[in-house]
Amino acid sequence: MRAVLCSLCAVLAPAAPCLLRAWQLGAGVIRTLCMGLALLSVCKFTEKHECVTTENGVGTVGISNFAQEALGDVVYCSLLEVGTKLNKQDEFGALESVKAASELYSPLSGEVSEINEALAENPGLVSKFCYEDGWLIKMTLSNPSALDEIRS
Amino acid sequence: MVARKACRVLGIGSAFSSSSHREAVRKTGSSSMLIPFSMKNCFQLLYNRQVPAAGFKKTVKNGFIIHSISNDVYQNLAVEDWIHDHMNLEDKPILFFWRNSPSVVIGRHQNPWQECNLNLMREEGIKLARRRSGGGAVYHDMGNINLTFFTTKKKYDRMENLKLIVRALNAIHPQLDVQATKRFDLLLDGQFKISGTASKIGRTTAYHHCTLLCSTDGTFLSSLLKSPYQGIRSNATASIPSLVKNLLEKDPTLTCEVLMNAVATEYAAYHQTDNHIHLINPTDETLFPGINSKAEELQTWEWIYGKTPKFSINTSFNVLYEQSHLNIKVFIDIKNGKIEICNIEAPDHWLPLEILDKLNSSLVGSKFCPTETTMLTNILLRTCPQDHKLHSKWNILCEKIKGIM
Repeated sequence: MRAVLCSLCAVLAPAAPCLLRAWQLGAGVIRTLCMGLALLSVCKFTEKHECVTTENGVGTVGISNFAQEALGDVVYCSLLEVGTKLNKQDEFGALESVKAASELYSPLSGEVSEINEALAENPGLVSKFCYEDGWLIKMTLSNPSALDEIRS
Repeated sequence: MVARKACRVLGIGSAFSSSSHREAVRKTGSSSMLIPFSMKNCFQLLYNRQVPAAGFKKTVKNGFIIHSISNDVYQNLAVEDWIHDHMNLEDKPILFFWRNSPSVVIGRHQNPWQECNLNLMREEGIKLARRRSGGGAVYHDMGNINLTFFTTKKKYDRMENLKLIVRALNAIHPQLDVQATKRFDLLLDGQFKISGTASKIGRTTAYHHCTLLCSTDGTFLSSLLKSPYQGIRSNATASIPSLVKNLLEKDPTLTCEVLMNAVATEYAAYHQTDNHIHLINPTDETLFPGINSKAEELQTWEWIYGKTPKFSINTSFNVLYEQSHLNIKVFIDIKNGKIEICNIEAPDHWLPLEILDKLNSSLVGSKFCPTETTMLTNILLRTCPQDHKLHSKWNILCEKIKGIM
């Protein structure tokens, strides 16, 4: 897990010097902080395999490598509209791969501010979350500090 | 034996309703005096598990096999939704058998205009349903068995389920050549599809369902699953047409009953559970609280048509009018099942441009649906000049347009 997060960190901020620090929080969360990124930008993996990075109160949600490998080729991505209010763990869409529809669950509460329109034409992009092209939705967070509640 | 069988019929008959039990207890102070011994045992068992009050959840022990008494596709799909949403399937996998009266079922992200002949379906009274799982379009009738395997997300394994079906088939017909493909189809004799698969994966539970062709009307199936609509451009998941065959054609002893029993026996052996098939009534709110509103949602226009991924139609058709051929061009963009952009072009010597403009602008925002279009175009016609020829041209045009919806 730590190795995965470390490599993810390297991808997100390749040019910046990266001071890797991992520690246990009270709820059993392991968090990796890349000092090269904006202070509040943290990539966390929920147990549901949706991944979220935050910056200035806006969360960008994608799927983790693990989830993407389990899915295989994504042939369709359906997402709720901009403006939809989501509570943590609400369904915000579905991915289809080899006849299986997998629901997507919001890792945080907030309001959908943007959806990745490129996925309509090219759903395979979801596997590129680490490279910033495969994000699903962006949302304005109702509680930015709620990020700490996510368990990895 | 009858009492035991009756106990299996969960949710049917007032004998097992909580109110009649309370009635018995009130009269005698205990249930033992009025009710025969075997019935009482069964009844107490059910009562202890509080089946009528708490619903279906509590009855599932180590795994369960159920069979719907309904042939309504929406009610049966609602059972899947309900189990998926409400049950903890940890160590309690469920196998669900269901059959439907003639219906076409499309996958979650499909376009019905691309997948089936909606005009023919309307003429023949065939229902259209959109399921919540992925995959392609299928035709159901009473000669087709649907099987749903409910498990936890961790235990989700489609190939395992298909191998189970193959073992069941070979148990009753050892020489039958049935194989599962990489796309999770079952092929008979290496070429005929007898089963198609789809699934849904949720938070903690998942289900894999598949068809099994026993004695379906193959000719009707082919005509219904052939779309006549031209010029559709869409990102929706498309079906892959396959040659199909009924198992009954291969072996006349393979009736739906025989197949269901065979699969149930194999399932029970594999999961070390009881091989009784329990009948369930999918409209019973005491067993499945909230299920009827799920069935209602599945029947709404918003779900069936409104969930169609954005698509566009770019087509043209010829109209014969007073021995001359006219070409009408149609460009329509449809989002959430409603017309977003509408451009119907006809020669302006035939129909005045202002009238066409009125038609185009009034269709924007309306449902891509022949009923709604009929209503709108009738209203519009009243605002047009009272000219017999004009009205006749208008009607010809509108009929053609409704023909693509």
